[in-house]
Amino acid sequence: MAAPRVAPGRVRRRLTVAFVLVAGMAAAVLAAGSYLTVRAAWFDASLAQATVDTRYQLVLAQQFLPLDEEHTSSLLTSFEGSGRHVVLVADTGIAASHPAYASVPGPAVRAEVAAGRLAFQRMSTRDGSHLLVVGGRIPGSAAELYVVQAEDRIYADLDQLRAVLLAGSALVVLLAALIGHVLARRTLSPVGRAGAAARAVAEGLLATRLPVGTRDEFGAWAESFNRMAEALEAKIAALSRAQARERRFTADVAHELRTPVTALVAAASLVRAHLDELPTDVRRPTELLVANVLRLRRLVDELMEISRLDAGREHVTVRPVDLGGLVDAILGSRGWSDRVAVTGTAPPIVTDPRRLERILSNVVANAVEHGGRDVRVAITSADGIVTVRVTDRGPGIPAAHLPHLFDRFYKADPARTGAGSGLGLAIARENARLLGADITVRTEPDAGTEFRITLPVAHPLPDGDATANAGADGGG
Amino acid sequence: MGVEGHVLLVEDDASIREVTTIGLTQAGLRVSAAADGRAALASWRAHPVQLIILDVMLPGLDGFEVCREIRRTSQVPILMLTARTDTIDVVVGLECGADDYLRKPFDLPELVARVRALLRRSTSPTTDTVLSVGRLEVDPGRFTASKDGRELALTATEFRLLVELARHPGRVFTRDVLLERVWSYSYLGDSRLVDVAVQRLRGKVEDDPAQPRMIRTVRGAGYKLTP
Repeated sequence: MAAPRVAPGRVRRRLTVAFVLVAGMAAAVLAAGSYLTVRAAWFDASLAQATVDTRYQLVLAQQFLPLDEEHTSSLLTSFEGSGRHVVLVADTGIAASHPAYASVPGPAVRAEVAAGRLAFQRMSTRDGSHLLVVGGRIPGSAAELYVVQAEDRIYADLDQLRAVLLAGSALVVLLAALIGHVLARRTLSPVGRAGAAARAVAEGLLATRLPVGTRDEFGAWAESFNRMAEALEAKIAALSRAQARERRFTADVAHELRTPVTALVAAASLVRAHLDELPTDVRRPTELLVANVLRLRRLVDELMEISRLDAGREHVTVRPVDLGGLVDAILGSRGWSDRVAVTGTAPPIVTDPRRLERILSNVVANAVEHGGRDVRVAITSADGIVTVRVTDRGPGIPAAHLPHLFDRFYKADPARTGAGSGLGLAIARENARLLGADITVRTEPDAGTEFRITLPVAHPLPDGDATANAGADGGG
Repeated sequence: MGVEGHVLLVEDDASIREVTTIGLTQAGLRVSAAADGRAALASWRAHPVQLIILDVMLPGLDGFEVCREIRRTSQVPILMLTARTDTIDVVVGLECGADDYLRKPFDLPELVARVRALLRRSTSPTTDTVLSVGRLEVDPGRFTASKDGRELALTATEFRLLVELARHPGRVFTRDVLLERVWSYSYLGDSRLVDVAVQRLRGKVEDDPAQPRMIRTVRGAGYKLTP
């Protein structure tokens, strides 16, 4: 089951982004809050000071009453001289001590002032300077005096404060990103290690373990993982020990059988030569004895071969092989030349003739024993692949048996005790694997069966009788 | 079949020893039998034979050691019977100086055929003409070979191999051809027989067996003898 492809680092990025968002929002709220608080405090202080000052100036202005033209002029000059800009609103008109500060507040403020209270307004001039205008009625007259102060300094300070706060917030966000990234990586690194470890275990490195560094959830997780890996390793070791034991047992059995079977085979071949001289009532039993000794011998041979294959002790020694000649030799040595027709040829292929012999003779033997009629071997070669098709026109193989056809001791018909050991096709397949060859089966009920052996064609190397094992070649 | 010969059969299993003795006797051979390595060496020293059939798995002194011991003094043909599952057995056996081998369980007729082939190799002259290749001189009629006038101690297999190569100096012989001509295998002989025999022959013929100048390997093809 293939795991869905994951994009590594996605969780890390998400964690970092969350960290940045939280830190950024906190910084923004703090900055905005402090900006607004500072702004309000500064404005309040400025206003309070201006109010106190205005009250005092109104008392001073009282000294210039009544406000005729001369008094008005000297009032304005006197205030301007003391460093204050004022606007005087009287019956005679509006007079300002300095033309740049000739700002008269709106009607709401003037109404307040007319009612005898102090009032203020913040205004900005056309050239962009910010003014605070605080005014009141001059006691004992209807004239209004407005003291105008520039608040540009406060605004400049506020701008600076805003810039500092903005830069600070940006720095906080950057720091948050950096710390978030590092933290996310450190937090998630056990996950990454666990993933790598799980992959390593899946690839067969069962000794893989996770470091249990921390006393937290990750540590507990790593411990569980390690326990799982240990259990898995122990289980697999036990299984492969059991398999090795079983294989060794098979090899031992075959080996132990070999000595008595050798004696039996030799004795049988002596007896076979004298069957005709035996009394009739023992002749048939003796024939059966001889035939079964040969069956037993074949079984022991094949058991030994399969245990050698299992142990990986069979080596591949390749050389150029004439396939047609090999097939003829196999058929000749087994006495099948009259029963099996051969068609087609192939250029010499570089392979191990002994392994190929095991494949071909077992597949042909299977066809001869089970397929019966009309066994044919057809050799074709195309596109760097040589194909040998072994066909028969026998009863075919029921579909249910096909998946097990190459299993050891599998018999399609358990009731039938043919001459085969039940290992022939398994041996053929193991040898095919050694050669990188492939065996496939197609069968049709009552029409026959086709075994198709495809062999990769290695081209003969100009400088090589390439051998896969350390050949006993003297070199030169 | 007319091939007369005296064979020493070394086999520890009594049944195999007995039935093989019967088979070889019926094939017209004289058979002495020994049940272990020491008995085999004692028997060989007392009554030299024309051929030894040697089981690998022997109690006490194993077949390889017996083979090595005999090869120290004699070039008598030796046929190994291997019982182990390992193919390494075959190589070790051949490197000890065995001429041929059979895997157990073997067919009696096949054993007889191998024995006859080996005996033929060591008795029948292939040609009477003395062959002279470079510093080598091979006399098939007298069964002798010499290098620079000094006689070489070759086994029958090594001698036949040298004769085959010396008949056509410079020609490349494939392993299959040599298996057929020297060992009488017509079907899937073991090419290691050739490789190991060539190696042993080089050990006796070449000045420096690691840098062979006479018996050359032709990669991908086989061997040739260069004058």
